Amino acid sequence: MNCEEAKKLMDGYLDGELDPIANQKIEEHLRECRNCDQAYKVHGSLIRAIGNGTPYYKAPAKLRERIQSSLREEIAKEPVRNVVEDFPPPFPTEQRRTIPSAIPWNWLALAAAIIFAAIITFNLMPRLQRPGSDQFLATQLIASHARSLMANHLTDVASSDQHTVKPWLDTKLDFAPPVVDLSSEGFPLIGGRLDYLDNRPVAALVYERRKHFINLFVWPASSDAATAPKTITRQGYQLLHWADSDFNYWAVSDVNANDLQTFKQQFETRTPHH
Amino acid sequence: MTSSKNAMALPLKEEHAPETEDSDPKIVKFAIVKKRQEDHSLEVGLASFEDAILPHLDAAHNLARWLLRNEQDAQDVVQEAYLRAFKSFAGFHGSNGRAWLLTIVRNTSYTLLKKNRAVDLTITFDEEIHGTSDVAVSPATILERSDNAELIKEAMDELPAEFREILTLRHQEGLSYKEIADIAQIPPGTVMSRLARARGKLKECLATRIGKENR
Repeated sequence: MNCEEAKKLMDGYLDGELDPIANQKIEEHLRECRNCDQAYKVHGSLIRAIGNGTPYYKAPAKLRERIQSSLREEIAKEPVRNVVEDFPPPFPTEQRRTIPSAIPWNWLALAAAIIFAAIITFNLMPRLQRPGSDQFLATQLIASHARSLMANHLTDVASSDQHTVKPWLDTKLDFAPPVVDLSSEGFPLIGGRLDYLDNRPVAALVYERRKHFINLFVWPASSDAATAPKTITRQGYQLLHWADSDFNYWAVSDVNANDLQTFKQQFETRTPHH
Repeated sequence: MTSSKNAMALPLKEEHAPETEDSDPKIVKFAIVKKRQEDHSLEVGLASFEDAILPHLDAAHNLARWLLRNEQDAQDVVQEAYLRAFKSFAGFHGSNGRAWLLTIVRNTSYTLLKKNRAVDLTITFDEEIHGTSDVAVSPATILERSDNAELIKEAMDELPAEFREILTLRHQEGLSYKEIADIAQIPPGTVMSRLARARGKLKECLATRIGKENR
């Protein structure tokens, strides 16, 4: 290595940024060349001194505050989601899909633990003691009913023949819901559909009443289920609940309350008793 | 952010649409709960952003201050850089938060420099003017005066932005050539030569100032 080359590499050598071969070559040259060695030492001490003497502009405390408040303003600016746009979800788990990827996983793990604990607690509570569990189910039922009318998906099997609808449902479910045609009582059977409610697959029987539809959701009764009939009116929908020894029934419709009571009586009369 | 909305967005037939849907307190409540959850996740995101990036505020301010040579501009640029950084924090997966932030500060500073003082960015403007001022000031004399912060500040401020930038990043932040290349957006091979020129120029400026004082 000559003096010219050594001069070019001097700053890299000073900063410890040369590759090992270049490093070795310049060290050899500095051992042999007094002038370069002297120049390097002067340069090095001068650069270090200037670096140390350069004023460092620390951020004033008020700048930190300014930045922190502007970041919070930025968050507050996030647009509020349109409430009307958001249809209630069929299951509460749906909403957890919208977690931004910026969240570190340890936070996610904490959140998951909390949710898990909440689910466990909720499930351990006796069904009847749950505050508003009927209300929550009612929301699900109305959502299901409304969606069945919106989505052009009223029935999976369209038939007024109970002997067509019942076997179809039996093959799709782990229970055999009672299916009766109530045409002669003014509630013709339109068909059947699979749905998912209360965390389980359920049968939805669709009946018609003077151009209105009735969704009758049926699933096996749990042993501690309340058997007293219940009516809920919400958003212009009538909900009627009853249970027998085998099944839970929820009828949802926009027909009037009397019609729905009639429907229930006719359905019970025609269902074989156990 | 739209996945849950898409899952809900079913084709809506007007004639069957339940008219009172939006007035249901349960649905409204659900939407509020969801909004709160989004707020919460934003706050969690902000907390992790502040944990990772706010410790580098001094470095950000120092770089901006040297680049802009003006305290007010430096603070404005740093604040804007932090907002930009926060917005793109989701895309930051590296571990070098300081280099990442300094890149944003540097770019934000140059945007302002280009807008306000285009002349400052030309590296050649003073090489001839100052390069010829061969004052007989020995390195030893410069070394004696190197504890004079005001003198060094004045000499640094004379240098073009690219030199001030590289000197700050190396001498004050102690960044590697690779990090400097990333921040200053130059090929790694040119970091050493630019740094050598910047140091040479800074020594010249110091010598000139000391020589003028002694005259």
